[in-house]
Amino acid sequence: MLCCRRVPIIACLLLLAFCCYATLAVAATIKIGEINPLSGRLAKQGLEIHQGVAVAVAEVNETGGLGGRQVELISRDDQSQPDVAISRAEELCGWKKVLALTGGYVDSLVGPISEVAKKYQVPYVASASLQKELTQRGNSYFFRVARLQGFVEPLCGILSEHLRPQRLAILHAATPGSTEFAHDLESCLQARGIGVKVTEKFRPGTPDFTPLVGKLASMNIDVIVSGGFSADHLLMVRQLKENRVSLKAYIGPFGIAYESFIREMADDAEYLYSTCAWSPGITQPNTEHMSQTFVDRFQSMFHRKPNTTNMHGYTSTRALLTAIKMVLQQKKSLTGPNIRLALAELDLLLPMERVAFDKRGDPRHYQHLVVQIQKGRLEAVYPPERATASAIFPMPHWSRRK
Amino acid sequence: MSKAKAKNQRVKQFHLTKVALALGLVLLLLLPVLSHYSDYVLQVFTHALLLATLALAWNILSVSGSISLGHAAFFGVGAYGSALLSLDLGVSPWVTIPLGGLLAAAVAMIMALLCLRLRSAYFALATLAFVEIPKVITDNWNGLTRGSLGLVGLPGLPSLRLGSYHFDISGSPTGSYYFVLCYGLVLLLLVAVIFRSNLGLALQAIREEEVAAEAVGIQVQQYRLLSLLLSGFFTGITGACYAHLVRYIEPGLVYGLHFSAIPMVFAICGGRFTILGPALAALVLYPLDQFIFHPLLPAGHEFLYGAVIILAILFMPSGFWGRLRKGHLVSIKTGSIE
Amino acid sequence: MWTTVLVSGITLGSFYTLVALGFALIFGVTHTFNLAHGELLILAGYVAYWLWKSFGIPFLFTFPAAVLVALVVCLVLQRLFSLLREPMELNSIVVSFGVAVLLQNGMLFFFSGDYRLIRVPALHQGLHLQTIYLSYSQLTLLALSLLVIGLIYLLMRHTYLGKALRATIQNREAASLAGIDVGRMGVLAFSIGALLIGLAGPLYGSIHYLYPTAGLQATLLAITITIFAGVGRIRGLILGGWILALAESSAVVLLGASWREMVSAVMILTLLAIRPQGILGREQK
Repeated sequence: MLCCRRVPIIACLLLLAFCCYATLAVAATIKIGEINPLSGRLAKQGLEIHQGVAVAVAEVNETGGLGGRQVELISRDDQSQPDVAISRAEELCGWKKVLALTGGYVDSLVGPISEVAKKYQVPYVASASLQKELTQRGNSYFFRVARLQGFVEPLCGILSEHLRPQRLAILHAATPGSTEFAHDLESCLQARGIGVKVTEKFRPGTPDFTPLVGKLASMNIDVIVSGGFSADHLLMVRQLKENRVSLKAYIGPFGIAYESFIREMADDAEYLYSTCAWSPGITQPNTEHMSQTFVDRFQSMFHRKPNTTNMHGYTSTRALLTAIKMVLQQKKSLTGPNIRLALAELDLLLPMERVAFDKRGDPRHYQHLVVQIQKGRLEAVYPPERATASAIFPMPHWSRRK
Repeated sequence: MSKAKAKNQRVKQFHLTKVALALGLVLLLLLPVLSHYSDYVLQVFTHALLLATLALAWNILSVSGSISLGHAAFFGVGAYGSALLSLDLGVSPWVTIPLGGLLAAAVAMIMALLCLRLRSAYFALATLAFVEIPKVITDNWNGLTRGSLGLVGLPGLPSLRLGSYHFDISGSPTGSYYFVLCYGLVLLLLVAVIFRSNLGLALQAIREEEVAAEAVGIQVQQYRLLSLLLSGFFTGITGACYAHLVRYIEPGLVYGLHFSAIPMVFAICGGRFTILGPALAALVLYPLDQFIFHPLLPAGHEFLYGAVIILAILFMPSGFWGRLRKGHLVSIKTGSIE
Repeated sequence: MWTTVLVSGITLGSFYTLVALGFALIFGVTHTFNLAHGELLILAGYVAYWLWKSFGIPFLFTFPAAVLVALVVCLVLQRLFSLLREPMELNSIVVSFGVAVLLQNGMLFFFSGDYRLIRVPALHQGLHLQTIYLSYSQLTLLALSLLVIGLIYLLMRHTYLGKALRATIQNREAASLAGIDVGRMGVLAFSIGALLIGLAGPLYGSIHYLYPTAGLQATLLAITITIFAGVGRIRGLILGGWILALAESSAVVLLGASWREMVSAVMILTLLAIRPQGILGREQK
């Protein structure tokens, strides 16, 4: 009789204990946040960053989490607008109290987020930020895995050492990143003795490049570097071809080294140069296995091959999670300042780069490779120690191609 | 018998509307508390209030009968003017914001010289084209405006100190919200003063029958110029406030169609010739778009603005608030219904 | 280089005229401005793109579908406009603006913000004429534009319908007194306008690329040329198109590519400054 009365009580107590344990376990997740443009004009790239971040989080969670705790990723959409980015950052840092932030695409969005993160002492490892300004504001909580120099130096190198153009033209879009890229490239080249014949700025979405193409042709430009984006290259290369402009090389650092571009352009993509930080098949030495694991996991999660934008999201998140793991291993409490210290001391080899940050938060070892599209594939052509093929320069005249 | 009943109904409706408005104001004042300091809600309403001030400013011009499709020119100039003065010369934003407004008024003067003689439809088209000029100049004048690089790290609005109290504005969503709310209420009061003044009456006369107004001795061109200058000035001030709240501007952003078109949509839907109409439309439609339509249609949710403006022009040309007010005014102001 | 500028100016200019012709016709007959003109053009382009991409329909056969869609939308627009009260011109601007926003968002929803290009490999070849090189896409543009403009010219001059349209353009009241059904003329104007947009749209999609907000530039272009030419003067429209295209190309060559967008704005404002009464300068208000 007594045991029958006690059983329900014991059952309730057990149930209660279980619930407490469950809530504690759930509450003990490690919360990190990400803010990307998932709608608006930058939606496509923002989504790609997000996918890279998701893969990194899934990878860590599937191998047991950090210190036995699962990582909880809280994603937000900044709608490609700076004021929305600010409010999302306030929400994640001030209200949801995330331990750290990652993600981000384009400096106009990353900048405001970094200011909010600094206010709350939340470390922010940005996936895609290029401009100098952001790391010159003395924000010790801001880190990034990319920067403009990574694009400029390799191009500067190949132009000054191998291609040596006589009449170079630098084109760029009327956006902050593209504009700064053009300035920096020009300064770097001038320091190495390569003069720039003409610099032109165009609005993104220009419907017709014929007058510009005509102008460049009349100046006998031999190499064009265009800081435009995929759509601009699509149109410009086609109009260069249509007008039979003889050119020794066309270099487009942004938007070319993507499978979707190569497919869209078909044969016209041949011989185009671009830069690439990572691609399935082009990865840091000794990271082939890691790279393949990433590709496989990405493929199973999103049913397509990853590109360099996805990899940027992955890299920043892996760096962040590794830093958090270090803090846990050192038995220190998980606070913003401690994570920041761990990030400052980080040295991690990943497929895209060896992640280590300098005093300002810039990546020490972020360098693109110069690639050329040969037979529909991306071949690394510079620097020589990582080249998979030699550059075909000058490119054959349009009339001698298909 | 029925006439008296109808009159009673309208009086009741009038009082009901007043109560509703008062309630709305209280809700706005208490919004931070009510929304549990949700940054998302505050940000949406801050932007809605910003757009409301733009709609009010736009309306100052539209009352004279002219429709402008290019107010982003003033917004952008105000934003850049204030931003550059505070960034390069270190002047406090409290000073540079009115200066930005004055710069915008100067640009309004240029627009007036070029376009004010035109008939209303051609004026509208001219303003549509006009925006390109300050936009392209700002984008290309690298030495002054940093061109396409945009302006980063602009100084925010400094916090206010009242004795031992410290109100953070730019750094806090709540602070920003109250700042824009105050600005909105002040502008509303100013607009009310303008509309009820001689200027307002003159503009109404001009709008309704220009030739007759001229015959009576109203200096048509001068009043239209004044309304354009005031409209530009306040739009510029809003632009400057935006620059210091968001602390980042770029030519494509501040000269964009978003800031030209949406205030126009609000003003027309709310009531072009009313005082409150534009602001009310902004406070209803923008949150509607952000809270309901944006999650449903991340791409293409702004169709709402196209739909409402078509419906407004076809079926409610005096706007929602205008329609509502007309009914009241008849019975209250004139005292009788006949 | 200046020969290239001249050649591209004339070919692109002829295309601009084709784009503007529909706008000018609609305005001339009905006194309404269609600010959704550019968006209609892009929509026609998207329809062609969609058929070409998803169903593999050859480029030439996409034109009829594009024309059909443009026709449907134009007739809806015409009905909307017929519901408007005075002042017609101003109200039409606002309503068509609303339609433009609707179309833009619709295209954004269905096709996303990505840039789309219709690849027609045949157009990528060309011919050499002494020192000038003309690509087939330029030739097609020029030929098609001039052909269609020529046909419209013949329609307006040598058919009864054309004469009725012209009469309506010159003086609506007199035309109506003369027994012309002004309302029907309006529908006809919108229909011809739709035909022109439907032809220009796919062409646009093959030589430029399509994205939802591309319409505004096209609308501004149509407005500029229409204001330049005055109403009902096709020769004026051709001249206006050529001048605009040449001005833009020259600006790129002389000042730089970043000044291109300002050209049409400056042209519109200058024209309006010279002719403050607008296009219908002759008419009494």
